[in-house]
Amino acid sequence: ASPFVLRARRSMDKSGMPWHLRYLGQPEIGDKNRHALVRNCVDIATSDNLTDFLVEMGFRMDHEFVAKGHVFRKGIMKIVVYKIFRILMPGNTESIEPLSLSYLVELNVVAPAGQDVVSDDMRNFAEQLKPLVHLEKIDPKRLM
Amino acid sequence: DCWFYSPNTIALISGQTGKLMYVMHNSEYPLSCFALFENGPCLIADANFDILMVKLKGFFQNAKANKIESRGTRYQYCDFLVKVGTVTMGPSARGISVEVEYCPCVIANDCWNLLMEFMQSFMGNHTPGIPSVFGAKHDSIYSPADTMVQYMELFNKIRKQQQVPVAGIR
Repeated sequence: ASPFVLRARRSMDKSGMPWHLRYLGQPEIGDKNRHALVRNCVDIATSDNLTDFLVEMGFRMDHEFVAKGHVFRKGIMKIVVYKIFRILMPGNTESIEPLSLSYLVELNVVAPAGQDVVSDDMRNFAEQLKPLVHLEKIDPKRLM
Repeated sequence: DCWFYSPNTIALISGQTGKLMYVMHNSEYPLSCFALFENGPCLIADANFDILMVKLKGFFQNAKANKIESRGTRYQYCDFLVKVGTVTMGPSARGISVEVEYCPCVIANDCWNLLMEFMQSFMGNHTPGIPSVFGAKHDSIYSPADTMVQYMELFNKIRKQQQVPVAGIR
């Protein structure tokens, strides 16, 4: 059985903000014809003892990284351009090194269930970014 | 002014660790959800945490006699908030809870004596000692999590008590 994965995120440049916990389900069936990857999503804001709490619940940390970059918005679409940094010592965000020299460009949308038509809007927007960026739908199973 | 309030708790046992986890809600903080382990961290999260718990239900099982809550009236007296509630486990009433809050102060140590004096004026001998949740951290800022930990301890105490036979109620 595939493990239950949760993502915990916090802001590094704004102190006092809640942590963000996210659950992402498996890609939805009927996905092959859609232009974007569609997954069930639950977003939860939490207090800053989230990681201690997750460990107490029985979770263990799989990996961690720092992302630095910019967020752009177009309506409900969010485009994030960021560099991923490897953390050299667990839990220490002061000593990091870039994973690669490139930036990762990610286009995502959080929408109410059933609104699959947003994937068409996403594809239309992605077309506009060519040839600067070539956005493609990823297959998470290939990455696991 | 009086209106109803209800801290309530559901106890769950983790299939992974065997530990007991409490998921609590409090009408004083209607948009929040509290999740805590005894002697462990208390997480404050928004209401979506309940949805996450539905996704995680395969990893937990309900503890025996698991849902307990306190429901009653909320009184405001100058800077004090007093909430008196009936503690129920399922259909049966098991006790009474009294919550007293001194609103202007956020450091427990600074107002404990005042709180005690206020409580003695209407609780007499039933006035409790300083709650254990303050332990070593008398001077840290009070948080709603501290309230929920106290309710968890109270509910656990009540849960462990033998049910009072009808003839014995005063």
